[in-house]
Amino acid sequence: MMTPADPPILSVEDLRVEFGVDRNVFRAVDGVSFSVHRGRTLGIVGESGCGKSVTSLAIMRLVSAPPGRYAGGRITFDGQDLLTLPDAQMRALRGGRMGMIFQEPMTSLNPVYTCGAQIIESLKVHANLSAQAARERAIELFDLVGLPSPSKRVDDYPHQLSGGQRQRVMIALALANDPDLLIADEPTTALDVTIQAQILELMKDLQDRTGTAILLITHDLGVVAETCDEVVVMYAGTVVEQAPTAALFADPQHPYTIGLMAAVPRIDVDADRLATIEGSVPPPWAVLKGCRFASRCPLADDRCKTQPPPLRAIADAHRVACWHAPIEGARP
Amino acid sequence: MSTTAEIDTAALAPRRRAWWQLLLADRAAALGLLILALIVLGAALAPLIAPHNPYASSRAVMLPPVWEARGTWTHILGTDGQGRDMLSRILYGTRTTLIIGVVAVLVGGIFGSLLGLLSAFYKRIDPYVMRLVDMMLSFPAILLGLALVAVFGPGVVPVIVALAIATIPDCARIARSIAVSVMEQEFIEAGRAVGLSDRALFTRYLMRNCVSSIMIFISLRFGQVILIGAALSFLGLGARPPAAELGMMAAQGRDFLLFAPHIAVIPSVAIFVIVLCANIVGDALRDVLDPRLRG
Repeated sequence: MMTPADPPILSVEDLRVEFGVDRNVFRAVDGVSFSVHRGRTLGIVGESGCGKSVTSLAIMRLVSAPPGRYAGGRITFDGQDLLTLPDAQMRALRGGRMGMIFQEPMTSLNPVYTCGAQIIESLKVHANLSAQAARERAIELFDLVGLPSPSKRVDDYPHQLSGGQRQRVMIALALANDPDLLIADEPTTALDVTIQAQILELMKDLQDRTGTAILLITHDLGVVAETCDEVVVMYAGTVVEQAPTAALFADPQHPYTIGLMAAVPRIDVDADRLATIEGSVPPPWAVLKGCRFASRCPLADDRCKTQPPPLRAIADAHRVACWHAPIEGARP
Repeated sequence: MSTTAEIDTAALAPRRRAWWQLLLADRAAALGLLILALIVLGAALAPLIAPHNPYASSRAVMLPPVWEARGTWTHILGTDGQGRDMLSRILYGTRTTLIIGVVAVLVGGIFGSLLGLLSAFYKRIDPYVMRLVDMMLSFPAILLGLALVAVFGPGVVPVIVALAIATIPDCARIARSIAVSVMEQEFIEAGRAVGLSDRALFTRYLMRNCVSSIMIFISLRFGQVILIGAALSFLGLGARPPAAELGMMAAQGRDFLLFAPHIAVIPSVAIFVIVLCANIVGDALRDVLDPRLRG
């Protein structure tokens, strides 16, 4: 497992990101901490609006300001504090040592340039390659991500490719300059199931070869189980549970995680209805004194509604933000 | 059979043709381009090919064109109310009209589009730029033309300036609305995530994706500008008589509409043909410049 001596490539400490102006400010990310090590995959799971995409954009410093604002915390990438880094150096990191894959492959490529041109552009910016060398490298990358006849595909426009092929191009683009960290924001959500499996396999395979760290944002627990070493579960802008993947799936401790797992359809259980979690995520402007999950939690009591539970360790590397943890026999 | 199969796949393989080849493959566009080229050529060569002095009057006033009963080959398109040769005046007039239209639309279009694109790209300046544009919008082109003529005296240049300024706000509005929708697309963020500078992002991602749509607006606007220019000339603000300008010629022909309609009709037809061809070519240009619309 992790060796404590090995410093993480990325560490996020107590990150707070706010949106809005004057009095209409709300915190999309409120005190999130985690770290990712080289060659390992961290998954961030949560439902829509829980702040996981904002977290990933914040790491790339792509939260548009205004209306966004970094209200506190630190993001450290290989010893550099990203939030205070000058713009030019930040730009050099983006697409260089930090690559990002977006959710929507259909709209993530510039439609007026060929796929090859976009990779060549990135190579020229970061690696200072000649046009010829960049083109060869682009073909090599297309081959690496498993695009058929790569020397032809580099001259194709994005609209000539399928969704899965475009996502492969996006991955090639993100990997163009051998990044130390790859952020994948729901890379498979827009793809159908067979292509999803291929893309995840590809990412895993590339990680084995290059040793890059991966931050995988997803709402799909199946994807997490397959690919991640460690998982962070987010709810309403906060981390509610954090554990190695095996530990999380064997013994989920936060009522929200337990609810999520119960909601996953299982092939070995014959159920007429899938389990659900009652209610919905509180709106971001709601003022919440206690635990943010209290209104939907079957275990909530008075303390939950008045005091926010801290994130505390209940086992080795397993931390949970719940007054009731550890909960016995929680696995549904 | 195997050979035919090979030939078929070769024929199906996407052939990439240059944009001008695609443009010429569109028959309407090719015809429009040809007519426009002839008009431009005629206007450019006016001093060489005009059969008569466009400013010299003769006794043969209101002579009809050659295809009518009293027409002569000396004055193919007839003469106007002062006996000046219509063909020569049309050639010279087209020259003035084209210069006014092209320069005004280019200057106004470029400044306006840049303003609109920048204001969509840098959201901070957006409210200020758009209020400025609102102010400019509330000022009619004709009034602006009058004001400029009052200051600089009548002539072609004040008209061009007035028309260019009048084009800026419309163009800025259109460019901004196109750019805002492009900015919302994920590839802009993806471009940022690749580490591109603002400048590369602005030119290669935003501008390049807006150009084709803005182009169609500018080509439509070209027609409007020529018409407004004609209106300004009609008011005596633009080209001064005896200089020829199509709009002014049409306005002058108004007085003879009942007994010598050709004096008003011929310059009007010339304006119509220029504007129509420009619109057709602009339309086709948009189609071939946008890779998404290519086959």
